[in-house]
Amino acid sequence: MEALREGMRQAMQQDERVFVIGEDIGVYGGAFGVTAGLIDEFGPKRIIDTPISEAGIAGAVIGAAITGMRPIGEIQFSDFVVISMEQLVMQGAKMRFMFGGKADVPFVMRLAGGSGTGAAAQHSESLENWFVHVPGLKVVMPSSPYDAKGLLLAAIQDNNPIMFFEHKLLYKTKGPVPEEMYTIPLGQSHVVREGKDLTLIATSIMVSRAQQAAEQLAEEGIEIEIIDPRTLKPLDEKPIVDSVIKTGKALIVHEAVKTGGFGGELAAVIMESEAFAYLDAPVRRLAGLDMPIPYNRNLEYHAVPQVENIVEEARKLVKGQY
Amino acid sequence: MAKEIIMPKFGFTQEESEILEWLKQNGDKVEKGDPIAVVSTDKVSMEVEAPESGILDGIRYKVGDTVPVTQIIAYVLQPGEKIPESDSTPAAAHTAEITTEPKTETAQKPAPSLERAAGVSISPVAQRLADDKQVDLNLVRGSGKDGQITRKDVEDYLANQEKTGGKVKATPAARRIAGEKQIDLRTITGSGPTGRIQAADVVSARTAEAPAAQVKPAAAGSQAVNPALKVLKEIPLVGMRRTIAQNMQRSMQEAPHMFLQVDVEMDAAEGLRKLANENKMENSPKVSVTALIVKAVAQALKQNPIVNSQFTSEKIVLYEDINVGVATALDNGLIVPVIHNADRKDLKQISLEVSDLALRARNNKLQPDDLANGTFTISNLGMFGIDRFTAIINPPQAAILAVGKMNQVFVPDENGQPVLRSVVSFSLSADHRVMDGSQAAKFLTDLKNNLINLGEIVK
Repeated sequence: MEALREGMRQAMQQDERVFVIGEDIGVYGGAFGVTAGLIDEFGPKRIIDTPISEAGIAGAVIGAAITGMRPIGEIQFSDFVVISMEQLVMQGAKMRFMFGGKADVPFVMRLAGGSGTGAAAQHSESLENWFVHVPGLKVVMPSSPYDAKGLLLAAIQDNNPIMFFEHKLLYKTKGPVPEEMYTIPLGQSHVVREGKDLTLIATSIMVSRAQQAAEQLAEEGIEIEIIDPRTLKPLDEKPIVDSVIKTGKALIVHEAVKTGGFGGELAAVIMESEAFAYLDAPVRRLAGLDMPIPYNRNLEYHAVPQVENIVEEARKLVKGQY
Repeated sequence: MAKEIIMPKFGFTQEESEILEWLKQNGDKVEKGDPIAVVSTDKVSMEVEAPESGILDGIRYKVGDTVPVTQIIAYVLQPGEKIPESDSTPAAAHTAEITTEPKTETAQKPAPSLERAAGVSISPVAQRLADDKQVDLNLVRGSGKDGQITRKDVEDYLANQEKTGGKVKATPAARRIAGEKQIDLRTITGSGPTGRIQAADVVSARTAEAPAAQVKPAAAGSQAVNPALKVLKEIPLVGMRRTIAQNMQRSMQEAPHMFLQVDVEMDAAEGLRKLANENKMENSPKVSVTALIVKAVAQALKQNPIVNSQFTSEKIVLYEDINVGVATALDNGLIVPVIHNADRKDLKQISLEVSDLALRARNNKLQPDDLANGTFTISNLGMFGIDRFTAIINPPQAAILAVGKMNQVFVPDENGQPVLRSVVSFSLSADHRVMDGSQAAKFLTDLKNNLINLGEIVK
């Protein structure tokens, strides 16, 4: 959370075209506190509170972007992005193409997604893959504080509309973050951990769960290689393909529901690549159950992959049980 | 539990292997995958690997013993483990039975495809069904008590064959490796779910099935041993010896041979070779006489594709690929490594491959690929002092060239005066089903001209 806040603060200090717009982001500091204190430093003209209208936020962001500003929009709960789909998908994503490159749409829409907070079905979804399917949009999904700041600054500098999916549970993650401004180029997968037995591709919060699972499996002598695509679109395929060629097995883990999720895209990328001939087991997906996220905390816990599920799934794949 | 090491089954119809060498002894520490023994299969020596890490113990066979496949040959023990009680009687009976085989073999054995490796039982009904339907029981998994193959197992196998069209369940990686190593996936038992073959299964299979393994046993015509004669030694008909016996018998029985001979003055070729070797770069291989002959033969095959062919019951197939095998003598037999696409390789490359293959042949380091897909064979007994000889065609090829030693001979020059020439005698054995005398003669004449004008070809 502080990494994101620091990134936004530094971008606003450096470039006066950058501003933040969203619901309750000013005095209240945002639903999760990401923008806390920014209004004191930059004032209500650059930290803009809006009415409860996601379509309005998206429209304002797109309009500002094509007139030369570099806006950052915040969707309080990523679920609410559905209200702004027309603006984002019909307009923002296509403008540059339809105007023959004469209009850039350089905005970043930050969306807080994911389950685990007991916020029930309308406040817990993972909708990133909806936007992966829209040409013109870039989709970014950080998994660590370091990546969050570096990717956010890269996104702000990018001249394209960018959907920046944050996970609510990750706001409290601790990790080393340089104080200076730095960027992590969009479209670069990150090999988080090296291993020879299995390629585990995970996004967002599943990266840290995968790391915990890998620690446990290491004690059994199973070496998991973890890759975080970080940018779902454009996707950096090569590290994934190279890794599967090395390990011969692939497990994809994400929180979004399995059917129609990004895992299907990743699996297809692997199948269509040179790595196909090196596969020694089916590509497996471990993802959210095909259901709305339940309010009941126990049910909510079991609706999405947890560390123990990853351990079990990875072990079965490595041991040739699939 | 003590881990059993079994004699692996490397080929489709392979029944037994000879133990050539124990690389580890009782009490030695072994790591999983370590080679522990060298065994001979059809012509190729293969290594048996430790199935897991531990201490090798309980070696049951000595060097020279012939062991049926899947028979336990030793154990890997973990600390505190012992060899199972039931193993206290070594399988000497097996050894005896097999090594005396040539002596007692008067009745023909059942076709090997229907035999089951020792130690697994088959219900009589299952056996009969398998015989009727020509099912290789080695491919059937037993579900009965102690793995006994029941009638249902054979029926299930047949139903599955029908359903899948004989397709094999294997992962993409397993298929890739099998393709690279020319291994028939049908010969491999999969360790994955529902018997799917995985990469590790193929890697452990390690060898291609030699084409010769398809041949029926040669024992049909063997004679009883004369009890009136004192026996010096018995050589079991296994491995390479058996393969040679089968192939040569088949060739002489099936292919009507015709023999043509020609003497070729090799002075020009020899000059070329000496020149090449004097001017060769350091580290580049010496050009050998064999390499020259391979080159000239490849060219002649290109000019006469009918010689580079194969006879089948329906047709004669002429091959575009020209893969020239060079028969190489070993202490215990004969092996034919192949120079693939010899027509497209230069002298230097051929020389390099000839010497590399010969070296690896003598060190038992040839891989199945090195022996595969020959389309013609050269047999050179010149180095053994033989002036000329005729060879038996190496099936399924259509011809073989026998090369004698280089002799110094006075021949008349154009004025009738004697001049000293280096002459080599070449004999072609050709399959008369495939070609006639005139075609074989044209090949030999072309070969002769190629050798005389080798400078033109290698230029």
